[in-house]
Amino acid sequence: MINNTSTSHEIHATPPGDLAIWFFIFAELLAFGVFFVAYAFARAHNVALFDESQQHLNRTSGAINTLVLITSSYFMVRAVAAIKQGLSRECARWIAAAIGMGGVFLVIKLFEFHAKFSAGISLSTNTFYMFYLSLTIFHFMHVILGMVILAAVMLKARGGGYSAENHTGVETGASYWHMVDLLWIILFPLVYVIH
Amino acid sequence: MDTPHKPHFIRPCTFIWLALMLLTGSTYAIGEAGLGGLAIMLIVLGTAALKVQMVANYFMGLRRTRWLWRGIVLGWLLLVTGLITIAYLTTVK
Repeated sequence: MINNTSTSHEIHATPPGDLAIWFFIFAELLAFGVFFVAYAFARAHNVALFDESQQHLNRTSGAINTLVLITSSYFMVRAVAAIKQGLSRECARWIAAAIGMGGVFLVIKLFEFHAKFSAGISLSTNTFYMFYLSLTIFHFMHVILGMVILAAVMLKARGGGYSAENHTGVETGASYWHMVDLLWIILFPLVYVIH
Repeated sequence: MDTPHKPHFIRPCTFIWLALMLLTGSTYAIGEAGLGGLAIMLIVLGTAALKVQMVANYFMGLRRTRWLWRGIVLGWLLLVTGLITIAYLTTVK
């Protein structure tokens, strides 16, 4: 996602999109980073409980959701590529596909939450589930926010609001969406796999 | 009307997407095999760190920005994965 006037070897002073979104992204990385480290140290104090509870998670749905978010992120790369060619309609279609994948993620996650809540599991069940539920619900909310942002960008793209010369909004939305993907890439192995 | 050439980053990003899918498969396979221990933890966490760098540098386009921006993400990644590793090491007898 390089600014439209760039050559392939040009180095830019600022990242793609609105600079403000990058300060927001760094703040989010910090918040999730603290959460991830807190999880790791809480586990260190009760390894047996964490390892036993982790076995009851649906690792397959976690892995599928990783693939879904990575693919969704790739669709946003294609959306940015399309608008850099001035193809607004194609850009809007790629964004719609990315939103669709976000929807798939939410549905899979809701099934996972439903299974846990139906089994009587809640935030107060134990320390592992407190972390599992708060981390994944916090991330879930970010996916919803990302989809809202992408929907706004998609509508503007469909209406011809972006062009090959002016597409900062598309890059801004894409940067946020990639961050949501990036965070899940750490969350999945940390909570579902490592023991 | 002429359509501009396809941006140069599509091809490398497509390869990155495929690599990310394969690496996710390897992490899942390790989980399904029930493997654990320090070496496995380091492999799984290292794989996640590699994937984060792929997303940041290629999908987010940070590889074409000043080192400062890549450095912030890399610093965050090293700090978080380093502290997670330290937490894990405290449990290894």
